[in-house]
Amino acid sequence: MEHPSPPTPAGPGTPARLHWGWNPYLHLALNGLLVTASELLLKRGAMATAQIPGSAWLDSLGLTILGSWWVWAGIACYVVSFVNWLHVLRWIPLSVAFPLASVVHALIPLGAWMFLDERLSPLRWGGIVLIMAGIWLIAEPLTHAEETL
Amino acid sequence: MTIHLLVLILLAQGALVAGQVFLKHGMNLTRSPVGGAARIVGILLAGIGLLTLWFLLWMGLLQKLDLSYVYPFEGLSPVLLVLAACAILKESLGWKSWTGVGLITLGTIVVGLS
Repeated sequence: MEHPSPPTPAGPGTPARLHWGWNPYLHLALNGLLVTASELLLKRGAMATAQIPGSAWLDSLGLTILGSWWVWAGIACYVVSFVNWLHVLRWIPLSVAFPLASVVHALIPLGAWMFLDERLSPLRWGGIVLIMAGIWLIAEPLTHAEETL
Repeated sequence: MTIHLLVLILLAQGALVAGQVFLKHGMNLTRSPVGGAARIVGILLAGIGLLTLWFLLWMGLLQKLDLSYVYPFEGLSPVLLVLAACAILKESLGWKSWTGVGLITLGTIVVGLS
């Protein structure tokens, strides 16, 4: 990382001149956490507002859900995750970033199990393991690429 | 499942893939000297529009079908997206990454079916 390389037009290179806080792979990991947090917060808010009797027309549009702070926190996480995704796309090839972002299909059930007390079937655990193995196959060669930069 | 719904599912996946390709193309231009600000904003807005279409189609499908029925199709999106990135954006992947994409697809389908 001592030798800053000129940025290639669309290559996978890391922005060597930037502060480590802007590392696109760090932001890709952050993206997975933000999307997962947003889904769990929205679910929490939906559960909290399901019992509250709202006016009929608000209810029919699903808008009673906006009365929950959990939901607004979920929406905020979602908006931040989109901006953060654009930063990821600026530096990482789409064919690498998008499959890695699929980690949310494993993180969301795991989060639901940990924070929302949902039960996971053995088959679902198997699916989570498959996704994590796939993530590993794509991510592991990248750690070598980072070292040789 | 009727042909009608299958077409809607594929249309939704197509909008998601196209939207992401537009976003990536726009962000690539931010690193290139030929990308003007107006052009980049236009391409990014087109991407956001396509992702909005995907979201609406997906919500519509969820109203008609069970989540466990629609969710496994979500597993197709990494494969379709990587194919589009290779064909349109001229990206390339090694065999290891392709195997990884296959496992993620399989895992997402299993999570969706279970």
